[in-house]
Amino acid sequence: MFVDPRPPSVASTDHAARGALTIADLDKSFAIGGEPRRVLDNINLSVKAGEFVSIVGASGCGKSTLLRLIVGLDADYSGEIRLDGNRIASTSLDRGIVFQDHRLFPWMTLAQNIELALLNTDTPKERRAQIVADHIALVNLKGFEQAYPHQLSGGMAQRAAIARALVTEPKLLLLDEPLGALDALTRVHVQNELQRIWMTQRSTVLMVTHDVEEALYLGDRVVIMAPDPGRIRRIVDVDLPHPRDRGAPLLHRLKDEILAELTAAPADPANLVRLPGREDRR
Amino acid sequence: MKQVLARPAARFAIGLVAPLLFLAWWQWQASSGGARALTFAPLQSIGAALVELVADGALARDMFATVSRSLAGLAIGGSLGIAMGVSMAIWRPLDRVLGPLLHAIRQVPLIGWLPLFGLWFGTGQGTELIVVCLSAFFPAMLNSYEGVAHVEQRYLDVGRLYGFTPFQRFRLLLLPAAMPLILTGLTQALAFAWIASIATEILLGAGSGLGVTMQLAQTQQRLDVILVAIIATALLGFVINTLFQRLRRHLLRWQAAPL
Repeated sequence: MFVDPRPPSVASTDHAARGALTIADLDKSFAIGGEPRRVLDNINLSVKAGEFVSIVGASGCGKSTLLRLIVGLDADYSGEIRLDGNRIASTSLDRGIVFQDHRLFPWMTLAQNIELALLNTDTPKERRAQIVADHIALVNLKGFEQAYPHQLSGGMAQRAAIARALVTEPKLLLLDEPLGALDALTRVHVQNELQRIWMTQRSTVLMVTHDVEEALYLGDRVVIMAPDPGRIRRIVDVDLPHPRDRGAPLLHRLKDEILAELTAAPADPANLVRLPGREDRR
Repeated sequence: MKQVLARPAARFAIGLVAPLLFLAWWQWQASSGGARALTFAPLQSIGAALVELVADGALARDMFATVSRSLAGLAIGGSLGIAMGVSMAIWRPLDRVLGPLLHAIRQVPLIGWLPLFGLWFGTGQGTELIVVCLSAFFPAMLNSYEGVAHVEQRYLDVGRLYGFTPFQRFRLLLLPAAMPLILTGLTQALAFAWIASIATEILLGAGSGLGVTMQLAQTQQRLDVILVAIIATALLGFVINTLFQRLRRHLLRWQAAPL
Protein backbone atom coordinates (compact mmCIF):
# COMPACT_ATOMS: atom_id res chain seq x y z
CA MET A 1 0.00 0.00 0.00
CA PHE A 2 2.81 2.41 0.77
CA VAL A 3 5.06 1.72 -2.19
CA ASP A 4 3.11 4.02 -4.52
CA PRO A 5 5.55 6.30 -6.28
CA ARG A 6 5.29 9.87 -5.24
CA PRO A 7 3.94 11.88 -8.19
CA PRO A 8 6.90 13.58 -9.87
CA SER A 9 5.16 16.93 -9.69
CA VAL A 10 5.29 16.91 -5.93
CA ALA A 11 8.88 15.90 -5.57
CA SER A 12 11.19 18.78 -5.05
CA THR A 13 9.82 21.41 -2.74
CA ASP A 14 11.17 22.48 0.57
CA HIS A 15 8.30 21.42 2.77
CA ALA A 16 9.75 22.73 5.99
CA ALA A 17 9.33 26.32 4.84
CA ARG A 18 5.74 26.12 3.64
CA GLY A 19 2.29 25.74 5.02
CA ALA A 20 2.58 27.13 8.55
CA LEU A 21 -0.82 28.47 9.63
CA THR A 22 -1.32 30.97 12.41
CA ILE A 23 -4.73 32.01 13.69
CA ALA A 24 -4.76 34.78 16.26
CA ASP A 25 -7.68 36.36 18.15
CA LEU A 26 -10.15 35.33 15.44
CA ASP A 27 -13.76 36.41 15.89
CA LYS A 28 -16.59 35.95 13.41
CA SER A 29 -20.23 37.00 13.62
CA PHE A 30 -23.22 36.50 11.37
CA ALA A 31 -26.27 38.74 11.32
CA ILE A 32 -29.22 36.48 12.06
CA GLY A 33 -32.57 38.25 11.94
CA GLY A 34 -30.79 41.62 12.20
CA GLU A 35 -29.00 40.59 15.41
CA PRO A 36 -25.27 39.94 15.24
CA ARG A 37 -24.58 36.45 16.47
CA ARG A 38 -21.06 35.36 17.30
CA VAL A 39 -20.15 32.02 15.72
CA LEU A 40 -16.40 32.02 16.42
CA ASP A 41 -14.97 33.47 19.56
CA ASN A 42 -11.31 34.21 20.17
CA ILE A 43 -9.78 31.35 18.20
CA ASN A 44 -6.02 30.99 18.62
CA LEU A 45 -4.23 28.15 16.86
CA SER A 46 -0.83 27.53 15.32
CA VAL A 47 -0.33 24.69 12.88
CA LYS A 48 3.22 23.77 11.98
CA ALA A 49 4.18 23.15 8.35
CA GLY A 50 3.49 19.54 7.46
CA GLU A 51 1.35 18.90 10.50
CA PHE A 52 -2.01 17.08 10.41
CA VAL A 53 -4.50 18.73 12.77
CA SER A 54 -8.04 17.44 13.30
CA ILE A 55 -10.90 19.54 14.63
CA VAL A 56 -13.85 17.89 16.36
CA GLY A 57 -16.89 19.36 18.02
CA ALA A 58 -20.65 19.28 18.19
CA SER A 59 -22.55 20.63 15.21
CA GLY A 60 -22.97 24.38 15.35
CA CYS A 61 -19.56 25.02 16.86
CA GLY A 62 -18.36 26.91 13.78
CA LYS A 63 -15.97 24.28 12.43
CA SER A 64 -17.06 24.70 8.81
CA THR A 65 -17.17 28.49 9.13
CA LEU A 66 -13.58 28.40 10.34
CA LEU A 67 -12.51 26.46 7.23
CA ARG A 68 -14.41 28.84 4.92
CA LEU A 69 -12.47 31.72 6.47
CA ILE A 70 -9.14 29.93 6.12
CA VAL A 71 -9.74 28.98 2.51
CA GLY A 72 -10.71 32.57 1.77
CA LEU A 73 -14.33 32.20 0.64
CA ASP A 74 -15.34 34.63 3.38
CA ALA A 75 -13.05 37.55 4.22
CA ASP A 76 -15.35 39.19 6.77
CA TYR A 77 -13.70 38.44 10.12
CA SER A 78 -11.73 40.18 12.79
CA GLY A 79 -8.38 38.96 14.02
CA GLU A 80 -5.62 37.36 12.00
CA ILE A 81 -5.35 34.30 9.81
CA ARG A 82 -1.89 33.99 8.32
CA LEU A 83 -0.36 31.36 6.07
CA ASP A 84 3.43 31.58 6.10
CA GLY A 85 3.06 35.11 7.39
CA ASN A 86 0.63 36.37 4.72
CA ARG A 87 -2.82 37.49 5.85
CA ILE A 88 -5.63 35.57 4.16
CA ALA A 89 -8.24 37.75 2.46
CA SER A 90 -9.35 35.76 -0.59
CA THR A 91 -9.06 32.36 -2.20
CA SER A 92 -5.70 31.23 -3.52
CA LEU A 93 -4.21 28.18 -5.15
CA ASP A 94 -1.97 27.95 -2.04
CA ARG A 95 -4.90 26.40 -0.22
CA GLY A 96 -6.98 23.44 -1.32
CA ILE A 97 -10.25 22.31 0.21
CA VAL A 98 -12.38 19.16 0.08
CA PHE A 99 -16.01 19.60 1.09
CA GLN A 100 -18.39 17.03 2.50
CA ASP A 101 -20.10 16.92 -0.91
CA HIS A 102 -17.52 16.29 -3.60
CA ARG A 103 -18.49 19.36 -5.71
CA LEU A 104 -17.12 17.90 -8.90
CA PHE A 105 -18.73 19.58 -11.90
CA PRO A 106 -21.28 17.02 -13.13
CA TRP A 107 -20.81 18.14 -16.74
CA MET A 108 -17.12 17.27 -16.81
CA THR A 109 -15.33 13.94 -16.71
CA LEU A 110 -13.17 13.04 -13.74
CA ALA A 111 -9.97 13.96 -15.62
CA GLN A 112 -11.45 17.29 -16.79
CA ASN A 113 -12.56 18.09 -13.25
CA ILE A 114 -9.07 17.55 -11.89
CA GLU A 115 -7.38 19.43 -14.71
CA LEU A 116 -9.72 22.34 -14.00
CA ALA A 117 -7.76 23.07 -10.83
CA LEU A 118 -4.64 23.65 -12.95
CA LEU A 119 -6.40 26.07 -15.30
CA ASN A 120 -4.98 29.23 -13.76
CA THR A 121 -1.64 27.86 -12.56
CA ASP A 122 1.60 28.36 -14.47
CA THR A 123 1.94 24.59 -14.96
CA PRO A 124 3.00 24.09 -18.61
CA LYS A 125 0.06 22.89 -20.73
CA GLU A 126 1.93 19.83 -22.02
CA ARG A 127 2.65 18.57 -18.50
CA ARG A 128 -0.88 18.91 -17.19
CA ALA A 129 -2.23 15.63 -18.57
CA GLN A 130 0.62 13.75 -16.90
CA ILE A 131 0.14 15.49 -13.56
CA VAL A 132 -3.59 14.76 -13.67
CA ALA A 133 -2.90 11.10 -14.49
CA ASP A 134 -0.43 10.88 -11.58
CA HIS A 135 -2.99 12.24 -9.14
CA ILE A 136 -5.71 9.94 -10.43
CA ALA A 137 -3.30 7.08 -9.76
CA LEU A 138 -2.52 8.52 -6.33
CA VAL A 139 -6.15 8.19 -5.26
CA ASN A 140 -6.48 4.78 -6.95
CA LEU A 141 -8.93 5.84 -9.65
CA LYS A 142 -7.00 4.68 -12.69
CA GLY A 143 -9.39 3.60 -15.44
CA PHE A 144 -12.10 6.10 -14.46
CA GLU A 145 -10.57 9.15 -16.16
CA GLN A 146 -13.45 9.50 -18.61
CA ALA A 147 -16.26 8.75 -16.12
CA TYR A 148 -18.77 11.47 -15.28
CA PRO A 149 -19.32 12.12 -11.56
CA HIS A 150 -22.76 10.46 -11.55
CA GLN A 151 -21.08 7.25 -12.68
CA LEU A 152 -18.79 7.18 -9.62
CA SER A 153 -19.67 5.84 -6.19
CA GLY A 154 -19.66 8.24 -3.25
CA GLY A 155 -16.24 7.07 -2.08
CA MET A 156 -14.75 7.34 -5.56
CA ALA A 157 -16.15 10.83 -6.10
CA GLN A 158 -14.73 11.92 -2.75
CA ARG A 159 -11.30 10.52 -3.67
CA ALA A 160 -11.54 12.42 -6.98
CA ALA A 161 -12.29 15.59 -5.00
CA ILE A 162 -9.20 14.90 -2.89
CA ALA A 163 -7.13 14.51 -6.07
CA ARG A 164 -8.51 17.81 -7.39
CA ALA A 165 -7.54 19.55 -4.16
CA LEU A 166 -4.02 18.05 -4.23
CA VAL A 167 -3.21 18.62 -7.89
CA THR A 168 -2.24 22.26 -7.34
CA GLU A 169 0.18 21.15 -4.59
CA PRO A 170 -1.42 23.40 -1.98
CA LYS A 171 0.68 24.38 1.02
CA LEU A 172 -2.38 23.84 3.15
CA LEU A 173 -5.10 21.26 2.58
CA LEU A 174 -8.43 21.85 4.30
CA LEU A 175 -10.82 18.95 4.73
CA ASP A 176 -14.40 19.83 5.72
CA GLU A 177 -15.94 16.56 6.94
CA PRO A 178 -14.69 14.96 3.72
CA LEU A 179 -15.83 11.49 4.70
CA GLY A 180 -19.02 12.47 6.50
CA ALA A 181 -21.33 11.21 3.77
CA LEU A 182 -19.63 7.85 3.28
CA ASP A 183 -20.67 4.50 4.72
CA ALA A 184 -18.57 3.01 7.51
CA LEU A 185 -16.53 0.60 5.35
CA THR A 186 -15.74 3.14 2.64
CA ARG A 187 -14.82 5.60 5.37
CA VAL A 188 -12.14 3.33 6.81
CA HIS A 189 -10.81 2.69 3.32
CA VAL A 190 -10.59 6.38 2.41
CA GLN A 191 -9.09 7.20 5.83
CA ASN A 192 -6.29 4.75 5.08
CA GLU A 193 -5.79 6.39 1.69
CA LEU A 194 -5.76 9.84 3.23
CA GLN A 195 -3.05 8.76 5.65
CA ARG A 196 -1.01 7.24 2.83
CA ILE A 197 -1.42 10.32 0.62
CA TRP A 198 -0.53 12.68 3.43
CA MET A 199 2.59 10.65 4.22
CA THR A 200 3.55 10.97 0.54
CA GLN A 201 2.77 14.67 0.15
CA ARG A 202 3.39 16.02 3.64
CA SER A 203 1.45 19.20 3.10
CA THR A 204 -0.16 20.81 6.11
CA VAL A 205 -3.66 19.42 6.69
CA LEU A 206 -6.51 20.80 8.75
CA MET A 207 -9.45 18.39 8.91
CA VAL A 208 -12.86 19.05 10.39
CA THR A 209 -14.80 15.94 11.38
CA HIS A 210 -17.44 14.83 13.83
CA ASP A 211 -15.88 11.37 14.10
CA VAL A 212 -13.53 11.33 17.10
CA GLU A 213 -11.93 8.06 16.05
CA GLU A 214 -11.11 9.48 12.61
CA ALA A 215 -9.72 12.66 14.17
CA LEU A 216 -7.39 10.61 16.40
CA TYR A 217 -6.35 8.12 13.73
CA LEU A 218 -5.18 10.83 11.34
CA GLY A 219 -4.31 13.84 13.47
CA ASP A 220 -1.01 14.78 15.08
CA ARG A 221 -3.17 16.95 17.27
CA VAL A 222 -6.91 17.07 17.88
CA VAL A 223 -8.59 20.40 18.53
CA ILE A 224 -11.81 20.07 20.53
CA MET A 225 -14.28 22.87 19.92
CA ALA A 226 -17.29 23.92 21.98
CA PRO A 227 -20.42 25.57 20.58
CA ASP A 228 -22.32 28.82 21.29
CA PRO A 229 -20.17 30.62 20.46
CA GLY A 230 -17.65 28.38 18.69
CA ARG A 231 -14.41 28.32 20.65
CA ILE A 232 -11.47 26.02 21.32
CA ARG A 233 -12.04 23.98 24.45
CA ARG A 234 -8.89 21.90 24.46
CA ILE A 235 -6.10 20.63 22.23
CA VAL A 236 -5.00 16.99 22.56
CA ASP A 237 -1.60 15.77 21.36
CA VAL A 238 -1.63 12.36 19.70
CA ASP A 239 1.94 11.26 20.22
CA LEU A 240 2.05 8.30 17.87
CA PRO A 241 4.02 7.97 14.62
CA HIS A 242 2.32 7.42 11.23
CA PRO A 243 1.26 5.03 9.76
CA ARG A 244 -0.88 4.21 12.74
CA ASP A 245 -2.53 1.07 13.98
CA ARG A 246 -6.25 1.54 14.65
CA GLY A 247 -5.96 -0.80 17.63
CA ALA A 248 -3.31 1.27 19.41
CA PRO A 249 -4.25 1.53 23.12
CA LEU A 250 -3.37 5.24 23.18
CA LEU A 251 -5.99 5.99 20.51
CA HIS A 252 -8.67 4.17 22.48
CA ARG A 253 -7.80 5.86 25.72
CA LEU A 254 -7.86 9.31 24.07
CA LYS A 255 -11.13 8.50 22.32
CA ASP A 256 -12.86 7.68 25.60
CA GLU A 257 -11.44 10.80 27.14
CA ILE A 258 -12.55 13.11 24.32
CA LEU A 259 -15.99 11.54 24.03
CA ALA A 260 -16.49 11.98 27.76
CA GLU A 261 -15.54 15.61 27.42
CA LEU A 262 -17.78 16.24 24.40
CA THR A 263 -20.83 14.56 25.90
CA ALA A 264 -20.46 15.74 29.49
CA ALA A 265 -23.80 17.20 30.51
CA PRO A 266 -23.70 20.46 32.36
CA ALA A 267 -24.51 19.61 35.99
CA ASP A 268 -27.20 22.22 36.25
CA PRO A 269 -30.44 20.84 37.76
CA ALA A 270 -32.41 23.41 35.77
CA ASN A 271 -31.52 21.39 32.67
CA LEU A 272 -33.31 18.29 33.91
CA VAL A 273 -36.66 18.05 32.21
CA ARG A 274 -39.65 17.39 34.39
CA LEU A 275 -42.28 15.40 32.58
CA PRO A 276 -45.70 16.55 33.73
CA GLY A 277 -47.76 13.90 35.46
CA ARG A 278 -44.92 11.41 35.89
CA GLU A 279 -44.42 11.87 39.62
CA ASP A 280 -48.09 11.09 40.33
CA ARG A 281 -47.72 7.49 39.20
CA ARG A 282 -45.36 6.51 41.95
CA MET B 1 -43.62 -7.44 -21.27
CA LYS B 2 -40.43 -5.74 -20.18
CA GLN B 3 -38.29 -8.10 -22.25
CA VAL B 4 -40.45 -7.56 -25.31
CA LEU B 5 -40.21 -3.80 -24.88
CA ALA B 6 -36.44 -4.01 -24.70
CA ARG B 7 -36.33 -4.67 -28.45
CA PRO B 8 -36.54 -1.49 -30.58
CA ALA B 9 -38.55 -3.23 -33.31
CA ALA B 10 -41.13 -4.35 -30.76
CA ARG B 11 -41.35 -0.86 -29.27
CA PHE B 12 -41.87 0.57 -32.75
CA ALA B 13 -44.61 -1.98 -33.55
CA ILE B 14 -46.42 -1.26 -30.28
CA GLY B 15 -46.29 2.45 -31.05
CA LEU B 16 -48.14 1.72 -34.32
CA VAL B 17 -51.08 -0.08 -32.67
CA ALA B 18 -53.04 3.04 -31.67
CA PRO B 19 -52.65 4.86 -35.04
CA LEU B 20 -53.73 1.74 -36.96
CA LEU B 21 -56.80 1.25 -34.74
CA PHE B 22 -57.61 4.91 -35.27
CA LEU B 23 -57.35 4.54 -39.07
CA ALA B 24 -59.60 1.46 -39.01
CA TRP B 25 -62.20 3.36 -36.97
CA TRP B 26 -61.93 6.30 -39.37
CA GLN B 27 -62.43 4.15 -42.43
CA TRP B 28 -65.44 2.46 -40.82
CA GLN B 29 -67.00 5.87 -40.11
CA ALA B 30 -66.26 7.14 -43.63
CA SER B 31 -67.76 4.09 -45.34
CA SER B 32 -70.90 3.90 -43.20
CA GLY B 33 -72.55 6.39 -45.55
CA GLY B 34 -75.00 9.20 -44.89
CA ALA B 35 -73.98 12.46 -43.27
CA ARG B 36 -70.81 10.90 -41.96
CA ALA B 37 -69.30 10.67 -45.42
CA LEU B 38 -69.11 14.48 -45.43
CA THR B 39 -67.21 14.58 -42.11
CA PHE B 40 -64.91 11.64 -42.69
CA ALA B 41 -63.13 11.37 -46.03
CA PRO B 42 -62.43 7.72 -46.86
CA LEU B 43 -58.79 6.64 -46.75
CA GLN B 44 -58.65 6.03 -50.50
CA SER B 45 -59.58 9.65 -51.31
CA ILE B 46 -57.01 10.91 -48.78
CA GLY B 47 -54.51 8.63 -50.51
CA ALA B 48 -55.50 10.06 -53.89
CA ALA B 49 -55.07 13.62 -52.61
CA LEU B 50 -51.67 12.66 -51.21
CA VAL B 51 -50.59 11.27 -54.60
CA GLU B 52 -51.85 14.44 -56.28
CA LEU B 53 -50.01 16.77 -53.88
CA VAL B 54 -46.80 14.75 -54.08
CA ALA B 55 -46.95 14.55 -57.87
CA ASP B 56 -47.18 18.31 -58.49
CA GLY B 57 -44.58 19.01 -55.80
CA ALA B 58 -46.97 21.07 -53.69
CA LEU B 59 -46.57 18.95 -50.59
CA ALA B 60 -42.78 19.04 -50.70
CA ARG B 61 -42.83 22.81 -51.26
CA ASP B 62 -45.25 23.32 -48.35
CA MET B 63 -43.30 21.10 -45.99
CA PHE B 64 -40.05 22.81 -46.86
CA ALA B 65 -41.59 26.27 -46.43
CA THR B 66 -43.11 25.48 -43.03
CA VAL B 67 -40.04 23.67 -41.69
CA SER B 68 -37.62 26.34 -42.84
CA ARG B 69 -39.84 29.11 -41.43
CA SER B 70 -40.02 27.32 -38.07
CA LEU B 71 -36.30 26.56 -37.90
CA ALA B 72 -35.32 30.06 -39.03
CA GLY B 73 -37.61 31.50 -36.37
CA LEU B 74 -36.20 29.12 -33.79
CA ALA B 75 -32.63 30.01 -34.73
CA ILE B 76 -33.20 33.78 -34.68
CA GLY B 77 -35.72 34.07 -31.85
CA GLY B 78 -34.19 31.26 -29.79
CA SER B 79 -30.64 32.59 -29.91
CA LEU B 80 -31.77 36.14 -29.17
CA GLY B 81 -33.83 34.74 -26.29
CA ILE B 82 -30.88 32.79 -24.87
CA ALA B 83 -28.62 35.82 -25.22
CA MET B 84 -31.16 38.05 -23.49
CA GLY B 85 -31.96 35.58 -20.69
CA VAL B 86 -28.31 34.84 -19.98
CA SER B 87 -27.35 38.55 -20.03
CA MET B 88 -30.19 39.44 -17.68
CA ALA B 89 -29.16 36.71 -15.25
CA ILE B 90 -25.47 37.68 -15.28
CA TRP B 91 -25.95 41.42 -15.25
CA ARG B 92 -28.83 42.22 -12.90
CA PRO B 93 -29.21 45.94 -13.85
CA LEU B 94 -30.32 44.79 -17.31
CA ASP B 95 -32.93 42.60 -15.62
CA ARG B 96 -34.16 45.57 -13.60
CA VAL B 97 -34.45 47.80 -16.67
CA LEU B 98 -35.81 45.40 -19.29
CA GLY B 99 -37.42 42.69 -17.14
CA PRO B 100 -40.77 44.40 -16.44
CA LEU B 101 -41.20 45.45 -20.08
CA LEU B 102 -40.44 41.96 -21.42
CA HIS B 103 -42.66 40.24 -18.88
CA ALA B 104 -45.54 42.54 -19.85
CA ILE B 105 -45.00 41.96 -23.58
CA ARG B 106 -44.93 38.21 -22.97
CA GLN B 107 -48.53 38.31 -21.72
CA VAL B 108 -49.80 39.10 -25.23
CA PRO B 109 -50.56 35.82 -27.03
CA LEU B 110 -48.64 35.57 -30.27
CA ILE B 111 -51.81 35.81 -32.36
CA GLY B 112 -52.51 39.10 -30.61
CA TRP B 113 -49.58 40.68 -32.44
CA LEU B 114 -50.88 39.91 -35.92
CA PRO B 115 -53.14 42.98 -36.38
CA LEU B 116 -50.36 45.34 -35.28
CA PHE B 117 -47.65 43.62 -37.30
CA GLY B 118 -50.04 43.47 -40.25
CA LEU B 119 -50.33 47.25 -40.19
CA TRP B 120 -46.61 47.76 -39.67
CA PHE B 121 -45.05 45.17 -41.92
CA GLY B 122 -47.91 44.10 -44.20
CA THR B 123 -49.41 40.65 -44.36
CA GLY B 124 -46.53 38.95 -46.16
CA GLN B 125 -44.01 36.30 -45.27
CA GLY B 126 -41.90 38.81 -43.34
CA THR B 127 -44.65 39.23 -40.77
CA GLU B 128 -45.06 35.46 -40.51
CA LEU B 129 -41.36 35.08 -39.71
CA ILE B 130 -41.40 37.91 -37.17
CA VAL B 131 -44.25 36.28 -35.23
CA VAL B 132 -42.45 32.92 -35.30
CA CYS B 133 -39.23 34.56 -33.99
CA LEU B 134 -41.16 36.32 -31.24
CA SER B 135 -42.89 33.12 -30.14
CA ALA B 136 -39.53 31.30 -29.92
CA PHE B 137 -37.90 34.19 -28.08
CA PHE B 138 -39.78 34.10 -24.77
CA PRO B 139 -39.49 30.42 -23.77
CA ALA B 140 -35.78 30.55 -24.63
CA MET B 141 -35.31 33.75 -22.65
CA LEU B 142 -37.23 32.68 -19.53
CA ASN B 143 -35.56 29.28 -19.18
CA SER B 144 -32.04 30.57 -19.90
CA TYR B 145 -32.54 33.24 -17.26
CA GLU B 146 -33.69 30.69 -14.68
CA GLY B 147 -30.83 28.35 -15.56
CA VAL B 148 -28.07 30.91 -15.17
CA ALA B 149 -29.61 32.74 -12.21
CA HIS B 150 -29.92 29.58 -10.15
CA VAL B 151 -26.52 27.95 -10.52
CA GLU B 152 -25.77 26.41 -7.14
CA GLN B 153 -23.55 28.35 -4.77
CA ARG B 154 -21.45 25.26 -4.08
CA TYR B 155 -20.31 25.22 -7.71
CA LEU B 156 -19.74 28.98 -7.74
CA ASP B 157 -17.46 28.44 -4.71
CA VAL B 158 -15.39 25.99 -6.74
CA GLY B 159 -14.99 28.64 -9.43
CA ARG B 160 -13.70 31.09 -6.83
CA LEU B 161 -11.32 28.51 -5.34
CA TYR B 162 -9.63 27.98 -8.68
CA GLY B 163 -9.52 31.67 -9.56
CA PHE B 164 -11.82 31.60 -12.59
CA THR B 165 -11.81 34.73 -14.73
CA PRO B 166 -15.29 36.05 -15.61
CA PHE B 167 -15.03 34.42 -19.03
CA GLN B 168 -13.95 31.05 -17.57
CA ARG B 169 -16.75 31.28 -15.07
CA PHE B 170 -19.21 31.79 -17.90
CA ARG B 171 -17.89 29.13 -20.25
CA LEU B 172 -16.93 26.38 -17.78
CA LEU B 173 -19.48 26.93 -15.02
CA LEU B 174 -22.56 29.07 -15.74
CA LEU B 175 -23.25 27.91 -19.29
CA PRO B 176 -22.92 24.14 -18.74
CA ALA B 177 -24.76 24.34 -15.40
CA ALA B 178 -27.62 26.17 -17.11
CA MET B 179 -27.60 23.91 -20.18
CA PRO B 180 -30.42 21.58 -19.05
CA LEU B 181 -32.78 24.53 -18.64
CA ILE B 182 -31.53 26.28 -21.78
CA LEU B 183 -32.35 23.14 -23.76
CA THR B 184 -35.74 22.88 -22.05
CA GLY B 185 -36.32 26.44 -23.20
CA LEU B 186 -35.31 25.55 -26.75
CA THR B 187 -37.64 22.54 -26.73
CA GLN B 188 -40.51 24.80 -25.77
CA ALA B 189 -39.35 27.40 -28.28
CA LEU B 190 -39.40 24.76 -31.00
CA ALA B 191 -42.98 23.82 -30.15
CA PHE B 192 -44.03 27.48 -30.06
CA ALA B 193 -42.27 28.21 -33.36
CA TRP B 194 -44.01 25.27 -34.99
CA ILE B 195 -47.43 26.38 -33.73
CA ALA B 196 -46.75 29.97 -34.75
CA SER B 197 -45.72 28.92 -38.27
CA ILE B 198 -48.88 26.97 -38.93
CA ALA B 199 -51.08 29.60 -37.27
CA THR B 200 -49.65 32.58 -39.15
CA GLU B 201 -49.76 30.65 -42.41
CA ILE B 202 -53.46 29.94 -41.87
CA LEU B 203 -54.23 33.52 -40.85
CA LEU B 204 -52.07 35.41 -43.35
CA GLY B 205 -51.84 32.85 -46.13
CA ALA B 206 -48.67 34.39 -47.55
CA GLY B 207 -46.17 32.31 -49.51
CA SER B 208 -46.41 28.55 -49.33
CA GLY B 209 -46.68 26.31 -46.30
CA LEU B 210 -48.81 23.58 -44.77
CA GLY B 211 -51.05 26.17 -43.09
CA VAL B 212 -51.53 28.07 -46.36
CA THR B 213 -52.63 24.87 -48.07
CA MET B 214 -55.02 24.02 -45.22
CA GLN B 215 -56.63 27.45 -45.46
CA LEU B 216 -56.92 27.24 -49.24
CA ALA B 217 -58.38 23.74 -49.09
CA GLN B 218 -61.00 24.89 -46.63
CA THR B 219 -62.27 27.52 -49.07
CA GLN B 220 -62.31 24.84 -51.80
CA GLN B 221 -64.06 22.35 -49.50
CA ARG B 222 -61.22 19.83 -50.04
CA LEU B 223 -61.48 17.74 -46.86
CA ASP B 224 -58.97 15.22 -48.23
CA VAL B 225 -56.33 17.93 -48.82
CA ILE B 226 -56.84 19.37 -45.34
CA LEU B 227 -56.32 15.92 -43.88
CA VAL B 228 -53.14 15.33 -45.88
CA ALA B 229 -51.78 18.66 -44.63
CA ILE B 230 -52.70 17.81 -41.03
CA ILE B 231 -51.09 14.38 -41.25
CA ALA B 232 -47.95 15.93 -42.78
CA THR B 233 -47.88 18.52 -39.97
CA ALA B 234 -48.24 15.86 -37.31
CA LEU B 235 -45.55 13.58 -38.74
CA LEU B 236 -43.08 16.40 -39.45
CA GLY B 237 -43.52 17.87 -35.99
CA PHE B 238 -43.01 14.43 -34.48
CA VAL B 239 -39.80 13.82 -36.48
CA ILE B 240 -38.33 17.25 -35.69
CA ASN B 241 -39.11 16.88 -32.01
CA THR B 242 -37.60 13.38 -31.89
CA LEU B 243 -34.38 14.58 -33.56
CA PHE B 244 -34.20 17.49 -31.14
CA GLN B 245 -34.63 15.22 -28.12
CA ARG B 246 -31.79 13.03 -29.44
CA LEU B 247 -29.56 16.09 -29.68
CA ARG B 248 -30.59 17.12 -26.17
CA ARG B 249 -29.77 13.70 -24.73
CA HIS B 250 -26.37 13.82 -26.40
CA LEU B 251 -25.58 17.29 -25.06
CA LEU B 252 -26.72 16.29 -21.56
CA ARG B 253 -25.04 12.88 -21.52
CA TRP B 254 -23.26 13.92 -18.32
CA GLN B 255 -26.56 13.76 -16.44
CA ALA B 256 -27.57 10.62 -14.62
CA ALA B 257 -30.13 8.69 -16.64
CA PRO B 258 -33.66 9.43 -15.44
CA LEU B 259 -35.03 6.58 -13.37
